[in-house]
Amino acid sequence: MSGLAITPASERSGARIPTDRWRVAGFGIPEVLAGLVVLLLLGFAVAPQLFAPLSPTAVDPRIAFSSPSIQHWFGTDESGRDIWSRVVHGAATSLLIGTAATAIGLALGAILATAAAVGGRVVDFAVGRVLEVLFAFPGLLLALLVIVIAGPGPVTATIAVGLSTAPGYARLIRGQLIQVRSADYVESARVLGHGPARILVRHILPNAVAPLFVLATLGIGQAVVWASALSYLGLGAQPPAPEWGAMLAAARTYLATAWWLTAFPGLMIVATALSTTILGRGLQRRLREGTR
Amino acid sequence: MTGGTLVYASGDAEPDCLDPHVGGNYPQALLSSQYLEPLVSRDADGAIIPWLAESWTTSEDGLTWDFTLRSDVTFTDGTAFDAAAVKANVEHLQNPETKSSTGYLAVGKVAAVEAVDATTARFTLSTPDSALLESLSQPWTAMESPTGLARGLDANCEAPVGTGPFVVDEWVKQDHVSLVRNDAYDSAPADSAHEGPAYLDSITWRFIPDSASRFAALQSGDVDIIDNAQPDTIVQAKDSKTIVDLDAPRPGASNRIELNAGQAPFDDAGVREAFVRSTDVNAGIESLFFGTAKRSYSPLSSAEATAYSDDSLFGYDLDAANELLDAAGWTTKDADGVRTKDGVRLTVRFPVSTNQSIPAEQSLFEQIQAGAGEAGFDVQLELLDLSSWYEALGTNAYEAVSAPYTKVGPDVLRVLYDSAGIVPAPSGYFANHAQLDDPALDDILTQASDTLDPDERAFLYEQAQQIILDGYYILPLYDQQNHFLLSTSLQGVRALPTVSTPVFADAWLVE
Amino acid sequence: MTAARPSTLGGRRLLGRIGARLAGAVFVLWAVVTVTFFAIRLIPGDPAQAYLGGPGSQASTEALERVRVEYGLDQPLLVQYASQLGRLAQGDLGVSASQRTPVTQILGEQLGGTLLLAVLALIVAWLLALGLTIWSTRGGRVSSAIGSGVELVAASLPQFWLGTVLISLFSTWLGWLPPVSTGGAAGLVLPVLTLAIPVAGFLAQVMREPLLDAQSAPFAVSAAARGETRTGMLLRHGLRHASVPAVNLSGWAFGYLISGAVVVETIFARPGLGRTLLQAVTVRDVPVVTGVVLVSALAYVIVLLIADAAAELLDPRDSRRRVTS
Repeated sequence: MSGLAITPASERSGARIPTDRWRVAGFGIPEVLAGLVVLLLLGFAVAPQLFAPLSPTAVDPRIAFSSPSIQHWFGTDESGRDIWSRVVHGAATSLLIGTAATAIGLALGAILATAAAVGGRVVDFAVGRVLEVLFAFPGLLLALLVIVIAGPGPVTATIAVGLSTAPGYARLIRGQLIQVRSADYVESARVLGHGPARILVRHILPNAVAPLFVLATLGIGQAVVWASALSYLGLGAQPPAPEWGAMLAAARTYLATAWWLTAFPGLMIVATALSTTILGRGLQRRLREGTR
Repeated sequence: MTGGTLVYASGDAEPDCLDPHVGGNYPQALLSSQYLEPLVSRDADGAIIPWLAESWTTSEDGLTWDFTLRSDVTFTDGTAFDAAAVKANVEHLQNPETKSSTGYLAVGKVAAVEAVDATTARFTLSTPDSALLESLSQPWTAMESPTGLARGLDANCEAPVGTGPFVVDEWVKQDHVSLVRNDAYDSAPADSAHEGPAYLDSITWRFIPDSASRFAALQSGDVDIIDNAQPDTIVQAKDSKTIVDLDAPRPGASNRIELNAGQAPFDDAGVREAFVRSTDVNAGIESLFFGTAKRSYSPLSSAEATAYSDDSLFGYDLDAANELLDAAGWTTKDADGVRTKDGVRLTVRFPVSTNQSIPAEQSLFEQIQAGAGEAGFDVQLELLDLSSWYEALGTNAYEAVSAPYTKVGPDVLRVLYDSAGIVPAPSGYFANHAQLDDPALDDILTQASDTLDPDERAFLYEQAQQIILDGYYILPLYDQQNHFLLSTSLQGVRALPTVSTPVFADAWLVE
Repeated sequence: MTAARPSTLGGRRLLGRIGARLAGAVFVLWAVVTVTFFAIRLIPGDPAQAYLGGPGSQASTEALERVRVEYGLDQPLLVQYASQLGRLAQGDLGVSASQRTPVTQILGEQLGGTLLLAVLALIVAWLLALGLTIWSTRGGRVSSAIGSGVELVAASLPQFWLGTVLISLFSTWLGWLPPVSTGGAAGLVLPVLTLAIPVAGFLAQVMREPLLDAQSAPFAVSAAARGETRTGMLLRHGLRHASVPAVNLSGWAFGYLISGAVVVETIFARPGLGRTLLQAVTVRDVPVVTGVVLVSALAYVIVLLIADAAAELLDPRDSRRRVTS
């Protein structure tokens, strides 16, 4: 669903974010800001109670639908729960869904790509065909197929999103591996008579792992967005877990009467996607400049 | 006053079949109320009144019922409505091929129908059934043209033929059903506002599953009436000058949470009471439904004259809940604050059908989850699609569940709480989700079903409801919510007092 | 590429390539059928029950037995597989478990609406992406930064939320457009926009760099020397370069649009494959789910073939870099 979309963008256009003039340790201002947001999100995920002392699940019908105030920065929801707390405590679940789905996609993609790069022409051809087939299942359709088989729920949704991103990652990683394989140092290792396994472990993988990390930061935000779509369709995360997508989906009915119910979880999803993407591109650019 | 096309927007899933004999759910009833008519109806006071049947008599033993039919009614395909047609309809319902569920149960005690003459249909029952008239007043047992039925199930599903004020013209799947006026219509029920054909030319019945879009369409004037209105939009409508609310609670059971008494921990009445007492349900209903839903303390809908309430049993009392749990042996708590007994956590699995529970109700369950959590219950809400939900029930993987059940009359208690309802059908489905197994209750329900004396019947059903309430098998919430929002340009709409489906035979569009 | 005579070397190579692509497409379809067939068998419980709409359908024992015979579920798995392939080869997708109509008929009725939505959304996404990138690459640092930001935000908007916001804005508040499909063209505007905006975000991201490159390329400098306006130059040369990666992305974008159709058709109450699929998933209508997956795979393969051809037309040098590798 997401991996592919980011592909060409991450390969090409990241450098053009106008960051050339002001730099902090080689990063532009937007990237530094994005980094801070990501750090903050990680803080939310690791120690939510530091940022939001109120309970995310404490119900109080008497203060339901309170608009943002000093006591409740982001207002309260239909059951009187504090939205700021829910958003902060939700970071762990949402980021977990995002990272787990991305990890599944990346791992599968890496396995396929490595097999293709190492296994010679026949395996390479076979992997190419497997990828074509995987691409032919449009993202959400694959997710729905998985849900038909395994039943709905957050774990299924995560796996489904992960599976559907795998082919995109596989294609990217394969390209990366081929590039590295033909690099000078690999050639010289080969000339020196090193075996293919040793070349893979010692030379190819280290040079391909860093770009993987970049890809991961790019994919997380998109995975959260897609998992939230499954929640909207009633096939994702469970209540009253403060997962952003589920919050957004559940509160959508109150859009006309209480905007803050949807605005803040929505903002968090967009902020996650934005900051991870900007950061990912920044890292990628540095990586490219480093290898030049 | 005459003419125009009414646009109806339904939030329910589009039916698979427009013939309510097949399966038999509420979305089918909503639609088919416009083109099919049953033998009898019910007035606002709960008394059974004539419709396609003019009158009826019962034998002394209650096993033989003679219905005298109207002689001046024809189906819209020209077939005459007569005793043979009634016989064909009951046989259609009882034919396993039809895969009828609701209608099949409604005529479950009918052994045979005989066409004595053209206008006399004789029902022979296997056992007395005091609920027969109520069962026959439902849209799921409405009369269809035998010629239409003979076309086969698939053709009949596409466009059932009835005697109603409208005729199915076209069904564009996933989009809309077109209904056009039956110009020859003259069989309105006894409590109708006017005789003869409808004022409207046609009805376009659309399916708009998203509640926000549905309300937006009503506001913008693209549709004239919507169903499944959400509480916050009902309140908005009350402030608006162009939209009105039609509140038509469904008959049969109230919306209630049923506690599975068939297995631990709810096989212990004290634990059930503790669960019920641990949550301030009233505060939740008030805030989530914005005052549009009235709290119920009865197993039956307030639409049923025989409904019996007892609010003294359901007061919020967290201390009492804690004491009850202590007394029941759930004395230790684990790190999460969940009570345990012999190393087992006090877990309540609560599957929720997203098709049957609106968002406000799902939020209410979350509040109940939080309240019960205070007392040490670990309530695990699971939002499920309909198939998975049925599966959870079928495999007994639940301790609490909310399952709406619509039926005309108090006989719904027999369906839901007779111990026979615990035994699953071959498909795994069963209706007694509380798994209430009480011979005394079974006995009362059987007596109530057998007696034709209304006073005795009412007394017996009151006893039955007392047993259900006193045993804390259920936590009643509110009537099955059935709010319709109408544009003020649509006048003369009423909900049938049987299953509360709106009908448009008397309706017109102003301007 | 003008109609090359088959006798020429280039023409023969072209024909060979087309043949290979077609063979690849057939392979992909076969694999999708196979994967779906065996995946469906992983559903726990009685497959006959699933055909009858799951455990809630209250199917009788006789009905189950009939379904087993009707669908050959009493046969060995491989025999079932072979007969399914045989039926598919004849264009028979089976009968819907819930609607009791042939799946081909259901898909035939629903396909048009979804295709119209997807194609319009793809066009609008292209236009939005072009407009945004041209505007933002022409200007200075600030407009470029705004452009990048808008792209990123657009690409990370959840469609179900975007749709509701658009309805609130354009229907409820401004009253310009109908909130749900009314059959007319006006009813298409909001669903198409809801689908197109995130896709436009993605497309704009991949078009930005080539457009920028084109501006500093030698031909651009000489064009400027000839007095050609910057916009004219961008449209003439830059777009050609920018379009290649975007065309390559179209196969993916189409899949994304089909996915998005599930959400958008639900919000805007439009008939189509997405809504059919969602409903089929909730009642576990296996034949319909299989049918929708197959049809969308077929559509994807066709779009890919077209995108391949378009990529070659735009940039013949690049013809070996195929859309899928």
